[in-house]
Amino acid sequence: MGLAAVWLAMAADARAQEPTLELAVKATYLYKLAPFVTWPATVLGDPTAPLAICVQGVDPFGAILDRAVAGQGVGSHPIQVRRLARIDAHSGCQIAFVGGSPAQSAAQALAQVDEAAVLTVTGEAATPRDHGIVHLRLVGGKVRFSIDASQAEESGLAISSKLLALAVQVKR
Amino acid sequence: MSGLIKADASDRRLVRAAWTAAGALLAIGLLVGARTELDYRRQAARQVEVQADILAASASAALAFDDRQALREYVDGLRVNPSLASAAIYDASGRAVVTIYRERAGPPPARAGVVGTRADGRRIRVLRPVAERGERLGTVYMETAPESWADMLSRHAGLGLLTVMAFLLLSVVTAAAAQLQARAAQLILANARLREEMDARGKAEEALRQSQKMEALGQLTGGIAHDFNNLLQVVHGAFELIRRRPEDAVKVAAWSVNGLQAAERGASLTRQLLAFSRSQKLELRPFVVGGLIGDMRELLTRTLGSEIALAVDLGDGETPVLSDRTQLELAVLNLAINARDAMPEGGLLTLTTKIVSVAAGDPLLEAGEYVELSVVDTGVGMSPAVMERAFDPFFTTKGVGKGTGLGLSQVYGVARQAGGAARIAAGLGGGTVVSLFLRSSTATPEGPQAPSPQPAVLAPAEGRTVLVVDDEAPVRDLVCETLRMLGYRVLEADSGAQALAILETEAPNLMLCDFAMPVMNGAELALLARRRRPDMPIVFASGHADTAAVEAALGGQAQILRKPFNLETLAETLARLLG
Repeated sequence: MGLAAVWLAMAADARAQEPTLELAVKATYLYKLAPFVTWPATVLGDPTAPLAICVQGVDPFGAILDRAVAGQGVGSHPIQVRRLARIDAHSGCQIAFVGGSPAQSAAQALAQVDEAAVLTVTGEAATPRDHGIVHLRLVGGKVRFSIDASQAEESGLAISSKLLALAVQVKR
Repeated sequence: MSGLIKADASDRRLVRAAWTAAGALLAIGLLVGARTELDYRRQAARQVEVQADILAASASAALAFDDRQALREYVDGLRVNPSLASAAIYDASGRAVVTIYRERAGPPPARAGVVGTRADGRRIRVLRPVAERGERLGTVYMETAPESWADMLSRHAGLGLLTVMAFLLLSVVTAAAAQLQARAAQLILANARLREEMDARGKAEEALRQSQKMEALGQLTGGIAHDFNNLLQVVHGAFELIRRRPEDAVKVAAWSVNGLQAAERGASLTRQLLAFSRSQKLELRPFVVGGLIGDMRELLTRTLGSEIALAVDLGDGETPVLSDRTQLELAVLNLAINARDAMPEGGLLTLTTKIVSVAAGDPLLEAGEYVELSVVDTGVGMSPAVMERAFDPFFTTKGVGKGTGLGLSQVYGVARQAGGAARIAAGLGGGTVVSLFLRSSTATPEGPQAPSPQPAVLAPAEGRTVLVVDDEAPVRDLVCETLRMLGYRVLEADSGAQALAILETEAPNLMLCDFAMPVMNGAELALLARRRRPDMPIVFASGHADTAAVEAALGGQAQILRKPFNLETLAETLARLLG
């Protein structure tokens, strides 16, 4: 419980740290990334299968994310938000926001889905070593992102060149 | 005429077809132009759509992640396209995120409208969705600048020019054809009118000719009848006197001379007629005109009478001409008589001869030397109209019965037949000059034929027999009587058949036969007679003019006695043949 209290406190801290607008933008980015990413055919094979956006560890969005994805879908796939303390290759996540937590650090979480077809997303809180495939950050007051193209390749994800073109930095 | 009308109708059809073609051409030109314009606009719209799609596709991520800078860059890239008036990108909620526009065009709408393409006049507005994986992210808007009239015109200039030129060409050709058609119709009308006029004129001329012919015939017959009546009066009177007073030998001799002279003049009159009819062959012999004038001087003086003086100026020397001496004498006599009639108050008649050279190119005469014989009077002269017709046969200014209208015709005929010409001109002091041009000859000139010695006429004809064949009893009787008087024994036949019958039993020394006889003419008779009596000379008596025809029928050496002939001629001919 104490752990949870700390986690919640941290989460509250995070919310306090980031302005609501910025968070809302980031929340929409999570599902807006989906159309520009192609998962392997084995994932999302069923056209009606939900596209799962997982929030691992500390959740900075809270209800904002739920509101953002409400009524949204990617193609024929509905969007499902799942909040998990830990994630691994079998968690069924297509997009995973890695917040990190004492239960599973961001680095651990990233390592768990290293080889899985999961588009990992990290935020400002992440240390430079622990960036997901997409790392969201503020540039000139605006939310931008950098992309780790080599990691995406390792994960078996194809990222649209349009998205790459928009990235402030692309790691190959 | 019907062919012309048909041609006219087909011309009309051609013109109509040409106008139809021109109209069709114009319509096709317009259709093709409109079609081209529509195609062009559709294509232009499609191009804008494609451009908008490209923008939408490339802008999708930037729109999704609200990267205005990237969106601005994408949209700014469109500025290089001059035909683009404005462009905008709207987000999923329809708000304009970025816009660009040119001053002239005005800003794009603030909110996105319904997706689609609207061509309004010459501008195209395109709204295309921005979507990624079926996820609608926003809308792209593009509007083209209206195409300038110059561009549009230049696009259609080629076809338009071609169409207009073809139309103009067809119009011009059609108009020309229509004009030609009208002209042709006018020509047809004019032609028809002309034809009618020509027909009418031809008929009028024919009628005029006919009436002139009748008039001339009347003049001729009247003149001849008058002359012959006068002559017959003399002959008749002479015989009447002789019959009543046969015992007065001196008077009888005088009366018979009168009668003979009248008959001689009658013969001369018929010669004149024949010369005019050109049936009588001219006997062209070389002689000197000066000599002829000299010989005629006394005759002319007597003809002209005491009121008219005669002057002769001979300048032809000894140059002979080739002509018919007798006919020329007659021509001079005719001219003298005309001159006398033109000088009722008296005057001067001048006869001149001179040698003239005619150069090549003369309308009537061949180049060479000619003797010009001019007869000049000081009379009343001729009006130009009269002068123009003076040589025409039967044309006379003398009253009916006074002249035959043949005198100057004879003059003209003599001159022309001898390869010369005759001309009439006004004299210097009034009066008339008639000139005859007679071709000079290199042959030795002959004098007038010497009259046969009188003894030949009276040569004895005892024991000689002459067969006389003539279908006309009075002539035959007269000839027979004359021959008997000359001492010949005479056999008579009134036809060729009878003559041949006589030849079966008799052997005359000579046959004198008429040429023109019914059933068997002189020539046919001569042929049959020659078979029986090859050595018998045959003499033809012919009153017919056509010497050539007689000679052609009889062969070259035919002996021809021209009617009327006198006793001397008959006696001389027979004596020569039997001598």
